[in-house]
Amino acid sequence: MAKYDVVVVGAGNAGLSAAIQTAMAGKKVLLIEQHNLPGGCATSFRRGRFEIEPSLHELCDVGPLDNPGDVRNIMDLYGIKVDWVRVPDCFRVITKGSDGQKLDVTMPSTIEAFIDQMEVEVPGSRPKMVELFELFQEVLDGIAYISASAGHADSNVLKEKYPNMLRTGAYCTQKVFDALKLPKKCQDILSTYWSYLGVDMEHLAFIHYAAMVHKYVSRGAYIPTYTSHEISVAMTERIRELGGDIWFNCRAEEFLFDGDRCCGVKTNLGQVDCDYVLANINPDIIYGKMMPKDLVPEREKKLSAARDGRYGGRMITAYFCLNKTAEELGIKDYSIFLQGTADSAQEYKDIMGGIETNDYSIFLCYNVANPKASPEGTCICSFTSMGSPKDWDNLSQQDYVALKNRFVEKFLKSLKEKAGIDIAPYIEEMSVASPWTFARYLGTPEGAVYGHETADWDGMMARMMMLDPDYPIKGLRPIGAAGPRGDGYSAAYLCGQLMARLALKDLSEEGGNQ
Amino acid sequence: MALNVKVGLIGVLDMLKFKNMAKVREQAIQAAPAKEIKGEFAINNNAKLLHPDHQKLVVSEIIDHPGAGAKTFVFKSAEGKPLAYFRAGQYLSLKLQIGESFVTRPYSISSSPQWTLEGKVAITVRTNPGGFVADWLLENLKVGDGVIASGGEGQFYYEGLRDAKNVVALAGGSGITPFLSMAYAIRDGIEDFNLTIIFGSRTEENILFREELDAICAACDKVKVVHVLSDEEKEGFEHGFITAELIQKYAKDPYSVFICGPEAMYRFVSGEIDKLGLPGKNVRREMLGVTKKVWEQEGYPAECKDKTFKLTIRQGPNEYVVDASANEPILVAIERAGVAAPSRCRSGECGWCRSKLVSGQYFTPAENEGRRHSDVVNDYIHPCCTFALSDMVIEVPGEYLK
Repeated sequence: MAKYDVVVVGAGNAGLSAAIQTAMAGKKVLLIEQHNLPGGCATSFRRGRFEIEPSLHELCDVGPLDNPGDVRNIMDLYGIKVDWVRVPDCFRVITKGSDGQKLDVTMPSTIEAFIDQMEVEVPGSRPKMVELFELFQEVLDGIAYISASAGHADSNVLKEKYPNMLRTGAYCTQKVFDALKLPKKCQDILSTYWSYLGVDMEHLAFIHYAAMVHKYVSRGAYIPTYTSHEISVAMTERIRELGGDIWFNCRAEEFLFDGDRCCGVKTNLGQVDCDYVLANINPDIIYGKMMPKDLVPEREKKLSAARDGRYGGRMITAYFCLNKTAEELGIKDYSIFLQGTADSAQEYKDIMGGIETNDYSIFLCYNVANPKASPEGTCICSFTSMGSPKDWDNLSQQDYVALKNRFVEKFLKSLKEKAGIDIAPYIEEMSVASPWTFARYLGTPEGAVYGHETADWDGMMARMMMLDPDYPIKGLRPIGAAGPRGDGYSAAYLCGQLMARLALKDLSEEGGNQ
Repeated sequence: MALNVKVGLIGVLDMLKFKNMAKVREQAIQAAPAKEIKGEFAINNNAKLLHPDHQKLVVSEIIDHPGAGAKTFVFKSAEGKPLAYFRAGQYLSLKLQIGESFVTRPYSISSSPQWTLEGKVAITVRTNPGGFVADWLLENLKVGDGVIASGGEGQFYYEGLRDAKNVVALAGGSGITPFLSMAYAIRDGIEDFNLTIIFGSRTEENILFREELDAICAACDKVKVVHVLSDEEKEGFEHGFITAELIQKYAKDPYSVFICGPEAMYRFVSGEIDKLGLPGKNVRREMLGVTKKVWEQEGYPAECKDKTFKLTIRQGPNEYVVDASANEPILVAIERAGVAAPSRCRSGECGWCRSKLVSGQYFTPAENEGRRHSDVVNDYIHPCCTFALSDMVIEVPGEYLK
């Protein structure tokens, strides 16, 4: 029987990060992954002569060498080299503004350029925008402080250094925008990024939104040259270098307990004993079917019930490999947010209403940022929208392809009508991923990629404040998008690191007690 | 002036609200009932149905095709479960225990997708003298026998948004099977495109599915079949091989070409298609297998031919050391050793067998190179199209058999 200090279950972003962090601390680590690839969402797939990025749009947390963000820092700390390329602009958004008019705006990155462009779009907005970005900065610094204190922040320090964060931090983004009296058109443009967090502006914590937007605008966005598989493979190779083992196509079937303490994992490749498990699995699945029912704490049942199945981000993504270049097709923007409306709360409702009302997609052309994204003379594009359980819960197998293609037709039509770009005649390869696809490859509830919605009472900051009560199982910590940092690549890397550190602390305290 | 943002009227209360976030969250949690967590979701179950780890099937009927030296095996679920639906043109990967070996083989599904809804799915196996699995199946597989199979796999299917409305299918021998399924799908109203099958057989008697194809053509004007006989000249048949001229004779612009057939036919037809000057997007190939003569591939180091190397296979906590012939993909050595490792397409494309190379040298034919960029750089291999050039140590993924 195999025996390890730490078993990490699931080689998604959080799992990879946790495995490296624990292996760097000298632990004997086994990483098991139910698929034959690492990364979860952070992977790639081949079609014909193309290698396709399945999920990553852009990372707000890499940053240039002289202004590194969390992802660049964590990769440096882990000793991982990624060939990053910078995304030229923040975004182009084509939507219906709150004045009912078509809004078509391209926003550049760097704070100065962003504010300048906003002044062009909304004359007189500069003072408010300057104030907003100051507030963003304070929020970002405040979060960094709270994260570093791992759930034990000093309230005097908070009050002295981050008073504006404290005053805005409990509100949703919409409330703060209104309090700042931001011109409505500014709000329309600023709300563009909402879907990256999967929660509309009336439910999205300002603090979460502020941190993300500040990073995108101030540092610019980055992508890996060779798809996110490049990052994930680099991480697996680092785990091997550190003496860790990785078993692919190895599924955790059940967590094993000695009394109330997790002591191992049953898998299709046999039982593995260990001192600690870091599980890159949604807690609802761990508690729902991977451990003895009588060991599931009452509070975790209540937490799950309170969340009431509001999983975040059931993605529909259509990938197109085209036999023409971006220039030939008139594609100038890396990302175009094709929205039905700038009213994110309405948009969210329309998305959840299913295909009949969903008029949302983000169009990307990877080659605009990365000339190596595909062979010469070609380009790769994708559309991403969000799905509703309404469409995907009761769909029959034989109607599956038709529904996917109805979404694709909507996407292509929307791009043609709103942006004047027609890619349909040039499709050499295509593929469509749905919530079923993500459920297949990730095993997350409903295929959702954002964990539990970080909305209202269950926002990132509130979760960060409750790191102790949220992890009641001895020797077992869930990690990943359902964790305190919420969704996204960088959040998952950070969550994996944080949980690994807490696990190491648990282990050393237990060691001290023996 | 220092930034002073207030949302509520009194800033101190806003701060208190911040401080109370944990309390508010705890109240929301405590207010909820302590219900059992279900851990089961419709979307996940749907995904599992369409893409199962595997399907346990049982042979329910065997249809003989004596002239063609082939049999159609009709399967149903061994567990009374619904079968995975598929797109016409996809294959099932069978997992078989033959003697000490544990092998997989991809077989294009020859039945209509409609059949799976009725609990049936069929593959057709043609004799392959000297081959290992096909003749074993033909001789041994009986009604009532169980097999393990994947769901529908592969990308060889019609995609209306990508392919031309007219498809010219070039089939050789048992390569007719994916096109038969497509023809059924068109007849059954599942697919909507014009399919012209140019089907190469040796003699009229050899033609596989002649009657079935005739019946579909009679029932559905979107499907046409042109028979090409290589060894016979007969009225009503084309004679010779599938050439560029022949394709042009029957193709209606604009058209896509789909190819499926044995290696020799595939190589000949590929040369003919090059002459047509079609854009790459209009040519789709189903490659189920790698070359039988790797030593004839460009760049292969001739001195390695016929050698035997030592292959160390690690799978989870287990390790196996076996001999690997330089002339065969190392997947064959893995299978001979009885190690249940994953594989599906066996042509380098699907990546299901993706494994870590710990040490050793290898050769991959350029036409089977389907790896991701970072996998090539970081020594990941697809054993199904990897030929040993030295002793090798590899880590293979686990397998789901239960």
